[in-house]
Amino acid sequence: MLVVENLRKEYKNVVAVDNISFKVEEGRIFGILGPNGAGKTTTIRTVLNIIKPDSGQITFKGKPITNEFFNIIGYLPEERGLYRKSKVIDVIQYFAGLKNMPRKKAYSKAKYWLQKLEIEQYIDKRIEELSKGNQQKIQFIISVIHNPKLLILDEPFTGFDPISQTLIKEMILSFITSGKIIILSTHQMETVEKLCPDILLMNKGKEVYKGTLNNLKRNFGVNTVKIAFEGDAGFIGFLPEVKNIDRYSNYAEVQLNENVDPSEFLKILVDKIRIKHFSLLEPTLNKIFIDVIKQIKAQ
Amino acid sequence: MKKIFEVARWEYIEKIKTKTFIISLILTPAILILFSITPTFLTQQEITHTKTIGIVDTSGLYIKGMRDKLSEYTIEDNQPNYIVINRTLKNRSLNDLKKSADKDVINEKIEGYLLIENAGTDSVSISYRSKSLGNLKDVNKFETAFNEIRIKLKFDKENVRPYLLDYISQSVELNQIKIEESGKETENDFLLTFFSSFVFIMLLMMMILYSGGMLIRSLVEEKSNRIIEILISSCTPNELLSGKILGLSALGLTQIFIWIVIGISLASASVVPLEAFSNVLPILIYFILGFVFYTSLFVGIGSVVTSEQEAQQITTYLSLLLVLPIIFVLPALENPDAFYIKILSYIPFTLPSFMMLRLNISPVPMWEILSTILIMIISIYLMIDFSGKIFRIGILSYGKRPTLKELSQWLKEK
Repeated sequence: MLVVENLRKEYKNVVAVDNISFKVEEGRIFGILGPNGAGKTTTIRTVLNIIKPDSGQITFKGKPITNEFFNIIGYLPEERGLYRKSKVIDVIQYFAGLKNMPRKKAYSKAKYWLQKLEIEQYIDKRIEELSKGNQQKIQFIISVIHNPKLLILDEPFTGFDPISQTLIKEMILSFITSGKIIILSTHQMETVEKLCPDILLMNKGKEVYKGTLNNLKRNFGVNTVKIAFEGDAGFIGFLPEVKNIDRYSNYAEVQLNENVDPSEFLKILVDKIRIKHFSLLEPTLNKIFIDVIKQIKAQ
Repeated sequence: MKKIFEVARWEYIEKIKTKTFIISLILTPAILILFSITPTFLTQQEITHTKTIGIVDTSGLYIKGMRDKLSEYTIEDNQPNYIVINRTLKNRSLNDLKKSADKDVINEKIEGYLLIENAGTDSVSISYRSKSLGNLKDVNKFETAFNEIRIKLKFDKENVRPYLLDYISQSVELNQIKIEESGKETENDFLLTFFSSFVFIMLLMMMILYSGGMLIRSLVEEKSNRIIEILISSCTPNELLSGKILGLSALGLTQIFIWIVIGISLASASVVPLEAFSNVLPILIYFILGFVFYTSLFVGIGSVVTSEQEAQQITTYLSLLLVLPIIFVLPALENPDAFYIKILSYIPFTLPSFMMLRLNISPVPMWEILSTILIMIISIYLMIDFSGKIFRIGILSYGKRPTLKELSQWLKEK
């Protein structure tokens, strides 16, 4: 288990990370979300032991993270780039070697991964000869080749075409069963919705929300129903239960006040108009994200 | 330790494969050899054609003597070096003679002519008039011949015994002998000393500039690609820094090794005199120490740089620092014991080149060699520490170049 407690890092008058705590268990993917400048990268860098926090503690399996952990950490930074003039296999072997992997083993592992990502034909090519997407695949291989116990992926999907995205997603999901701890930082909400059961939402260095995705939806989710009907629905807008209505000729999206049970609301409606369809709208994480950030900014 | 070697291995192998390395490996000594050998080679080239020289002497005193003296010189196949034509026509004024002779020079009938004025008096003078300024060797021959005849004429007039003429026309040259510690003595040639000191300092300078530039460029690449983040999530900044210094030093050593092999083979082919390689061991030590010192400095500076242009600027500034010893080569040769030379040979930035210079000029006491080597080793240690502190933070700061104030803060950070 990776435990981060009361992490704080200050740069020249700016608090980049303010009192952040979270836990990630083996075989779970933990999503860190937030707008630009939220402190995601700083958090990741402290976990990687690249920078030292001003205060707070990071432990992995009960031990504080030190340089000994270098070899069990895999990291895919957000901004991509490799030694352009060097050969694919040389670059992979170098980074694997830095993780204390013997050269021969690194070579066979590199072959295995290149095959798995369907780019084995580029093994002896220079990095600059590869397409951008394929360069990213190489970088992904570098982050996982040494079979890290802790894998940190910063925006792993940007720049990939849909086919490669699916490929990478399958790889990441396969790591769950092998019991890796995975931290995923992103602002792509779809990714998080598909992969991360637990999330941390950050803004300006502070924690906005931490917990399961389902809970977040329940907490921040707005109470919205969609109805299709026949008859005059003009009265709905005046009901005390209704906060907001978006009405069209024969259907409407109705935002209810908090504490209003949608099924009670339905009861009121059935007496007055003919209901053809009634459903609860689940808010997307995207909407929550924008709403929450807006809310905080307004405060 | 293993990771240091991993980084060093990468830096070494990737850099040795680059075209620029191979080019500099061959080009650097080629340029040096070209610059140092070509001029001597060209001036020493044999004269291949006979020159036709005119002579104008209204008194007629010098004509026969000059012709005899100058015809003693021969070129290939026993051909005469000079054919001397008397351009002194009777009953013509000096001005007329000059005019017609000048015309012949312009029309290339003659290479040039010697004009002797006021012959027979003590204020006799000679000039050589030609289209282009005379070759130094020609001029020397003319001068010697003229002066011998001038003295002979005077001696004849004063009835001095002729054998004295031979005596005073011989001059004794001064030999310079450099006394080495071991008791062996080598005949010293000013030019050779200059040449070998110059070559070593130039080599060091070019190597430092070249590999320093390469180092900064690769650091800029690593920073702008964020490769650096993967690197320091795999090893500590200090390991990375040490690995880079080690790798580049190995690269430098490879370069030196190849150059020495080239140098020795040139020496055995007697293109370069073997004496240029005396003192080679201490010079090599200073060379390597100087190289490692500057490489460590470049690593620190390189980590602060954020763009290619900045890298270029900084390399330029540093190169000025490196050129400094070159300026001092001549004054140091004239006065190797000057106080400022001693001082400069104790400051780590200039120490290697000045010690190389001093070793070439005069014997340096062993205690000075040992103490300067010690100073250099300590300086390298301090420089690595200094660079390490900047490097640690510098490699993670993007965008704006840090101010001096920020840098000093970095240095204080634990």
